[in-house]
Amino acid sequence: MLGFGPLAFASPWLLLALLALPVLWFLLRVTPPSPRRQFFPAVRLLMGLRTPEETPARTPWWLLLLRLLIAALVILALARPILNPTAPWGGEGPLVLVVDDGWSAALDWDARQEAANALVDQAERRERAVLLLTTAPARSGRAQEPQVAALQDAEAVRRQLRTLSPKPWAVDRQRVVEALQDTRLPGPAQVYWLADGLDAPGTTAMLQRLRRLGAVTMLRGAADEAPKLLLPPENEGAEMLVRAARVPADFSETVTLRAVDAEGYAVASTDLTFEPGSAEARQPLDLPLELRNRIDRLRLEREQGAGAVVLLDERWRRRPVGLVTVSAGAGSQPLLDELYYLERALDPFTEIYRGSLEQLLERRPAVMILADSRPGSPSEAASLREWVEDGGLLLHFAGPRLLDTPDSSLLPVELRDGSRTLGGALAWDRPAGLGAFPAEGPLSGLAVPDDVVVRRQVLAEPALDLAEKTWARLEDGTPLITAERWEAGWSVLVHTTANAEWSNLALSGLFVELLQRVVALSEGVETDGEEALPPLRLLDGFGRLVRPSPGVQSLPADSEVVPGPAHPPGLYGSALSRRALNLAEAVPALEPLPEVIGDVAMAPYRAEREQSLMPWLLTAALLLALLDQFLGLALRGLLPGRPHRRLGRLGRRPRRGAGAAGLVCALAITGLVMADTARAQDGSAGTDESYAFAALEETRLAYVVTGQTDIDEMSRAGLLGLSQMLTRRTTIEPGEPMGVRPGRDELAFFPLVYWPITASQGGLDQAGQDALNRFLEHGGTLLIDLLRPDALRDVMGGTNSRLQQTTDGLGIPPLQPLPPDHVLTRAFYLIQEFPGRYSGAGLWVEETDERRHDGVATVILGAGDWASAWAVDARGRPMAAVVPGGERQREIAYRFGINLVMYALTGNYKADQVHVPYILERLGQ
Amino acid sequence: MAPASKQRSPPLDAQRRGEALAAGLPPLLVAAERVAATVVQGVHGRRRVGLGETFWQFRSYEPGDPPQLIDWRQTAKSDRVYVRDLEWEAAQSLWLWSDGSGSMNWQSIEAAEQKKRRADVLLLALASLLVRGGERVALLGSGRRPHSGRDALQRLALALEREQGTEQGDGQEGEGLPPRDTLPRHSRLILFSDFLAPVEAIEARLRVFAERGVGGHLVQILDPAELSFPFTGRLNFIGLESEKSWLLSRSEAVRGEYLKRMERQRAALADLARRLGWRYQLHHTDRSAEGALLSLYQTIGTLPTARGGAR
Repeated sequence: MLGFGPLAFASPWLLLALLALPVLWFLLRVTPPSPRRQFFPAVRLLMGLRTPEETPARTPWWLLLLRLLIAALVILALARPILNPTAPWGGEGPLVLVVDDGWSAALDWDARQEAANALVDQAERRERAVLLLTTAPARSGRAQEPQVAALQDAEAVRRQLRTLSPKPWAVDRQRVVEALQDTRLPGPAQVYWLADGLDAPGTTAMLQRLRRLGAVTMLRGAADEAPKLLLPPENEGAEMLVRAARVPADFSETVTLRAVDAEGYAVASTDLTFEPGSAEARQPLDLPLELRNRIDRLRLEREQGAGAVVLLDERWRRRPVGLVTVSAGAGSQPLLDELYYLERALDPFTEIYRGSLEQLLERRPAVMILADSRPGSPSEAASLREWVEDGGLLLHFAGPRLLDTPDSSLLPVELRDGSRTLGGALAWDRPAGLGAFPAEGPLSGLAVPDDVVVRRQVLAEPALDLAEKTWARLEDGTPLITAERWEAGWSVLVHTTANAEWSNLALSGLFVELLQRVVALSEGVETDGEEALPPLRLLDGFGRLVRPSPGVQSLPADSEVVPGPAHPPGLYGSALSRRALNLAEAVPALEPLPEVIGDVAMAPYRAEREQSLMPWLLTAALLLALLDQFLGLALRGLLPGRPHRRLGRLGRRPRRGAGAAGLVCALAITGLVMADTARAQDGSAGTDESYAFAALEETRLAYVVTGQTDIDEMSRAGLLGLSQMLTRRTTIEPGEPMGVRPGRDELAFFPLVYWPITASQGGLDQAGQDALNRFLEHGGTLLIDLLRPDALRDVMGGTNSRLQQTTDGLGIPPLQPLPPDHVLTRAFYLIQEFPGRYSGAGLWVEETDERRHDGVATVILGAGDWASAWAVDARGRPMAAVVPGGERQREIAYRFGINLVMYALTGNYKADQVHVPYILERLGQ
Repeated sequence: MAPASKQRSPPLDAQRRGEALAAGLPPLLVAAERVAATVVQGVHGRRRVGLGETFWQFRSYEPGDPPQLIDWRQTAKSDRVYVRDLEWEAAQSLWLWSDGSGSMNWQSIEAAEQKKRRADVLLLALASLLVRGGERVALLGSGRRPHSGRDALQRLALALEREQGTEQGDGQEGEGLPPRDTLPRHSRLILFSDFLAPVEAIEARLRVFAERGVGGHLVQILDPAELSFPFTGRLNFIGLESEKSWLLSRSEAVRGEYLKRMERQRAALADLARRLGWRYQLHHTDRSAEGALLSLYQTIGTLPTARGGAR
């Protein structure tokens, strides 16, 4: 091996052949190229002619150079050049390959495998045996068996590497030490450790052992590629607090967390940011209850491996809370009802069931609250107790009824008869505030507000374990909240009421936090208990859920289990009740590898690999040879398609120039055209979009812009007045009306288009006709206003040329005078006349047909000049007088407008009512 | 590798072009001072009394005139007896030949078309003029008798086409020399060729005709590249008539020598024509065919018979 910096030759002696290049030069020089062939009729006259000078024909120098280059390339290629050669290996010993294949290796497993394969390739080139060791326990049930440290040839190791995949559990480097215990190697070995960048038990011991074998090189990823570990989230009331851990580092980093449901659809995603110097990132994930309960697992984007996945089971579901209602009397005065306060406090973060005790026991909520009420029968009490022992949490609140029946069988403490009243007309003492929460209790750390006072409470019978049972006290030490563990569940008693009668606790923010803590404490009632849980779906090394492999054992129900080969992380149990075993629960805090590990050489994974240049050089030589062939043919005039080559270089040239110029012109023109169209599209897209946004922001009425300023102004003012009236009187709250130009503006956004037709208005262009036709076809409503009462008579006589002219090309259906039972007469108001500014002008509508637009008329034709009647100015005053006059007429005009908009928006909804009299009549018979 | 295959005319295209070329000129009357027994009566008015169909003059009856010649109508107008003289009309026979050898099927980029094609066009244009003048034309070596009329032209064009077709098959026939044929005495022969064959061979062939009293005209058609030799570099020159190829390492160096040889060839040819009493004319394919036709028109009108012929 001969090296020059990043380049080395595997067979350097072949480079000697480069010395032969001058000889080749000479040989090529004396061998002239084949002459060009030239047909010539008068060849007889040339016979015997000789060129005067005797200079031999010569290969052109550039062709000669090309051929020498080809020869040189071939020689260089045969010398097997290698780019980025690795450092030479000392000694004659084998290659020892230690691969970390725990969960943290999944992130760039491909790079690791590539690196391992490259090393094996090198070993093969150097004819060394390979010893492959992995640090994670093997997958099968034979976890305890030490791995065999045996030398293998490269092919066998490659096969083994192909099947190697990261394991969903942690590494144990002590295994390597054990495996190497009795190994004797033939010489000093080359040791490569493909590390995952995390500290693990046995790292130091393994390194020491490895160093005794030979020089150790550690391959490690960059610091920002260190694996992240997704920790199980914490339930914090309404929110789920997601957490992720990393190796402590002094830079900030953001990972994206994705919450996925059982089908694999993303439910939510959030960014987790590691602050510089911190090892953990937290982020609350606030989701509606339904969504939250759908979450099946959380995973980190762009991270791979079992560590980046957390499976969720029932423990992370929000706890349903049952409020036991007393049948009678309650609820009559909501502000005095205990359940009202409880419901208001619990509603934001839990699911609440209300019902009788019996109903609630069937639904088996995680928490049940008895607010000063008792189970009605002994059997109910017994089943309630059973439920608590299964894991339910029973929360009692004291109250007058509890005092009446001091049966403490379901309470955590014995109660003394009677209650204690603090403060009051006949007492010296004052209402008591709260004392600090005991540090070891589940309520520890809650802030104690000053203004919460308890005026009355029930008292616990003193007992030896009373202090242990107490979760909260008053200032004077009297227990306020006591609890007792019953098997898997809790019974908790708050010694005061859940309403404001005995204390103002229920009015304080503490009440909410308190309930959150208590509810979070509950574990839910699991249906089964004792039996071992069979594996259901397990995570593989890349964090994918797969079917369990045969070697996996069932999860014991009661004991804590560390994920490992026998119990890989995953879901256990049955489809109905699952238990998630997460890797992160068993992984200690992530620690980086110790910085100083003796004389271990470091190398990155993604280093420049050794790369053989031979194929590239040979390809280049081949291409050049083809070029040479091509040039040779050209020199001999044998290229096809060039008959005029016969005369050498005469002619032809200008045409090629013209061709190039033409090409440049064509390109330039194409560019210009494209730029132009791009601009045009930009422009149109921009206006369309803003227009669409404006039109869609609110429901708007629209009028056709006629181009006559006074008419348009009146249309606008009229629709504005109608819009205001609609807002005032109905639930329709239209925005400002918009003017539209059919064909230019999209009409589909508007339910109703008002179209005043004037004498001087021209016809629509083709685009406008198309747009209006489309609008009508898709069920839009068009109100055509001829503005003059006599105009309609002309229409009936067929003499209204301006209407014909303006609406030419529109698909206007046959019209009929408005029938008296038409929906327009009853869509909102019951009206029978439809005056605008002029009354008595008449109204024509489309002859409706149930099969078209559900029997809703699309075209309404009249001449009332409604816009003028509706129009209001800026101060809300009418702008035009109505004829013959009277506010009654204007009012009716508004009513018609409202009916019309209702009709446009609700269609035939009111039409059903038309048949009611007949239906009633028929029913009566 | 004859480039002729590329330029193969559609049938009778050459005839169309030839006629178009000749359309601008009046019918050609070949000067036929020579009256011979072989001359067939034709429409060729000779401006003298003789056998013919066209009225020439009336003259008084002289003793010895056959009585059938008396024009009775004219005689009846006066006392004298008139005889109707007709103009003597005689048609000249012309044999045409265009060289079909391989060397004619060539063209450089300076030339407008192949030599062979130019030769055919000129031949047919000339034939068209002749036929319009009432002359009788035939293709040399076709074995047909001369004919007149449009029909003759058609036949000529077809024969040329056919000749070109057969020539592809049986190689270079005749090495660029006119075929041996027995022509009637005092007929005319017009040859279109590049005349690149050795002058001795050409002379031997032409002398046979000249000795029979056939008058002739040589039209040498050459490509401009053959006259200027614009080649450079190392070239292997390959003949078109299965000659040997000739390699020149620097073609430009022999240009002078070549031009001298070409000049000699042309001079020898012109000299040969002069000695036979024939006419010689050089035509380049980069010039227009009209020019060549015009000069042909002018010379053939006064085409002499061979000097060796009986005068």
